Amino acid sequence: MNNTISKYYPLIPVLGAYLIMFLIGFIMPGMWQMVALLAFYCALGQSWNIFMGMTGYVDFGYVTFIALGTYGMSLGISYFSQYEWLGVGIIAIGFIFALFLASLSALLEAFIALRLRGAYFAIACIGINEGLRYFIEGAKIWGGSEGIIFFGALTQALGRDTVNQLTSFWADFSVFIIAALAAFLNMYYMRSKIGYALTAVREDEDAAKVMGINTNKYKTIAFLTSGWLGAGVGAMAWGLKLGYVYPGDVFVIHYTVECIVVVLLGGAGTLLGPVVGGLIYGLSKYWLAVIMPGFQLLIFAPIIIIIIVAAPEGVVGLMKRRLKGTKLEMFIE
Amino acid sequence: MVFTLLAGNLIHGLLLGGVYGVATMGLSLIFGVINVVNVGHGQFIMVGAFVTLTMFTALGLSPLVAIPAALIIGMALGFFFFYTVMYRLIKAPELTSLLATFAMGILLEEVAKLIFGADFRGYNWGLGKITLAITTIPMSKVYAFIGSIVTALFLYFWFSKTRLGMAVRSVIEDTEGARVCGVNVGWIYALSFAIGIGLTVMSGVLLTMFIPVGINPYMGGGYTLKAFVIAVLGGLTSPYGAFFAGLIFGLIENGAYTLFALIPGVAPFPLTVSLAFWILFFLLLVKPTGLLGK
Amino acid sequence: MFMSLLKLENITKRFGGLVAVDKVSLEIQAGELIGIVGPNGSGKTTLFNVISGVYPPEEGKVIFEGKDITRLPAYKRAPLGLGRTFQIPRPFSSASVRENVAIGAMFGTLSGKVSVDDSLEIADRYIELVGIKAHKDKESGTLTPVEKKMMEIARALAMKPKLLLMDEAMAGMNPKDIDSMVQFIKRIKEEEGIAIVSMVEHIMRAVVGLAERVVVMNFGAKLVDAGTEEALTDPRVVEVYLGHPPDESKWKSEIWKK
Repeated sequence: MNNTISKYYPLIPVLGAYLIMFLIGFIMPGMWQMVALLAFYCALGQSWNIFMGMTGYVDFGYVTFIALGTYGMSLGISYFSQYEWLGVGIIAIGFIFALFLASLSALLEAFIALRLRGAYFAIACIGINEGLRYFIEGAKIWGGSEGIIFFGALTQALGRDTVNQLTSFWADFSVFIIAALAAFLNMYYMRSKIGYALTAVREDEDAAKVMGINTNKYKTIAFLTSGWLGAGVGAMAWGLKLGYVYPGDVFVIHYTVECIVVVLLGGAGTLLGPVVGGLIYGLSKYWLAVIMPGFQLLIFAPIIIIIIVAAPEGVVGLMKRRLKGTKLEMFIE
Repeated sequence: MVFTLLAGNLIHGLLLGGVYGVATMGLSLIFGVINVVNVGHGQFIMVGAFVTLTMFTALGLSPLVAIPAALIIGMALGFFFFYTVMYRLIKAPELTSLLATFAMGILLEEVAKLIFGADFRGYNWGLGKITLAITTIPMSKVYAFIGSIVTALFLYFWFSKTRLGMAVRSVIEDTEGARVCGVNVGWIYALSFAIGIGLTVMSGVLLTMFIPVGINPYMGGGYTLKAFVIAVLGGLTSPYGAFFAGLIFGLIENGAYTLFALIPGVAPFPLTVSLAFWILFFLLLVKPTGLLGK
Repeated sequence: MFMSLLKLENITKRFGGLVAVDKVSLEIQAGELIGIVGPNGSGKTTLFNVISGVYPPEEGKVIFEGKDITRLPAYKRAPLGLGRTFQIPRPFSSASVRENVAIGAMFGTLSGKVSVDDSLEIADRYIELVGIKAHKDKESGTLTPVEKKMMEIARALAMKPKLLLMDEAMAGMNPKDIDSMVQFIKRIKEEEGIAIVSMVEHIMRAVVGLAERVVVMNFGAKLVDAGTEEALTDPRVVEVYLGHPPDESKWKSEIWKK
């Protein structure tokens, strides 16, 4: 009994951090935007971590999930806002669409993972991102390169006040929820058969198969989970909050870079890592945006290289090593 | 009528394919020798494009001069990145070199944006055209194609006739075997990486001779994908295969563009860009065994 | 039960133009201890790979407990009771020794019947059995080659296999260690009961000490399949190893020398 609960101790610092962030944003005036930004990066970091940290597969096109999430929400709201009786339900529909689209992409990636590994897989995922973006623009579906603006439809369906509340609070709040959910799933997977299977897949996929592990099944689980979480973030933080979507805005590789920075900084494959990384990166970005707007990637690209070369385990990885054998060890994972 | 249009575009496609081929040869070389996929490939092409632009607009030098200049600049960049970053990562897991080359690419983009701004730029060489029965071809494209063929031939001779070239080939075939035969493998790694990058940057010049507009810091991404598809088509470690695959890809791309332009209600250019991915997907469906984990 | 545990029927495996395994047929009963020997390149490891499912044979069938598993994907064979160690150990490096061995328990014949905690307990037992208890929480990538071999064996045992394929488990060991290993394997066979150990060995000392039956392979084909003494003194086998037919009296005394 005791054992089962103590297994989940590492969740405490994570959820604690989220709680503190939320309270700061909620109580202190003017802090909500920043806190929301931090939550955004933490959530993305945790979602990406389930993908890369656990499977070892790098998805350079990860932003596709976020983008599809945004599109899902946009399509859902645009089409269903006419049914006024649905009320706030259209958001749920949009969310479901987001998850559905993300599933398609995740399954596609699982299929690709059957054939490609390592760098090839990573680039093929960029391919999905570029392919999808230009296909939308080229075939002029989903609004083509102009995209979808559904803010008006949303306001009409729900009324100005509700929409205000949604965009200024509930959208960001749901990102917190997604972040917490991601942390929980991360932990749950790590402790279960799924986590062990994925570790084996990551270290030596062929040996894993001989040991009886259905590598495709577990990779697919990881991809789907990670994809859904990413799509959820996109649906809420981009879709619902902004009220519009267009390809050039969402299928942008540099968000994947941000995910990578967050996870590498914090420590890939760890639970606390993406949170730490999200905080460091989010704060740095916020601060840099004030002093030197537009320079974030210029600074972070070499930082990625430095981390890879000098400190590949990230902050939390280093912490884990330092704290090995101490009491605090069970809280850090 | 459609057929002359198609045939004309196919010729253009073939010419462009030569450039694509040279662009991909660098990728294949690096992969063949050090087993690293240069995810920042497209960004190095972008560097070449900007070199051409700067030399033309600021220094008034023709792109033909930019070709060797770009090669030298590319090789210098290659050596720089190799000795600062890559050589530490030879023994590291694949993941890290993957991320490192990705980050290099991003760095190049941002530096370019810093220096040149994010706007789309272009230049006009104004060389005039050749007129054939079915189409007219700007001279610059012809030069670009000649440049690609010359490069490919030069590489062919270098690999098969020179000592250094053969040393590189031996490392591609069997690194340990080469080492035991006295080849200085570490130096070959560095040299191959530098040549690979040099070729890639140089191909950026050739590319602008073909498409002298749309030069901007973020133009590289699409080319990485194309190069990857071409490399997969042509054999991941074979630079010659990459060249021929490039020609084929150029043909397919332009052919497709012509056909797409005939379909009402679609935007042919973005659709053609997405084509690279669909080809890849098709390849993966059809040829599953060839690509599994290197 | 009259059904053999493993039955290979005319297995042929080709790599391009090279015939690595040439019409090999073999039967293994539950509880047998068999040695497979042969010079380098005789196809032993390829045969193992076909049995564990790394690749399918061009011709022939693999039948496990009466079931045709020739085309069955590798990961489905482990739960049926097919275990394997590799010539060069393949630990899941970043995981601890305990976690590695637990993976064997989770996905082997007990798959679906044990929880993660149960698997860790099972792991502890086998870790102790093979004698690497001191390293149990260490990252498996940091172990010495011999320790890795022992972990590999523990992991395979945790799968609770009915048939264990051990690929050159004693390569590189000195004679004293080989003898202990031989005793150890005999012990496992007795204690674990159904697990049969089928080895691939160059080392005559081990084969002689361990195997009840020996299969000799050469150029991908099965040369001899008989009881240990009979197989190893067969003139054809001696010729394969020495390059010429033996001087019989000298050979017999040489091989049985301690």
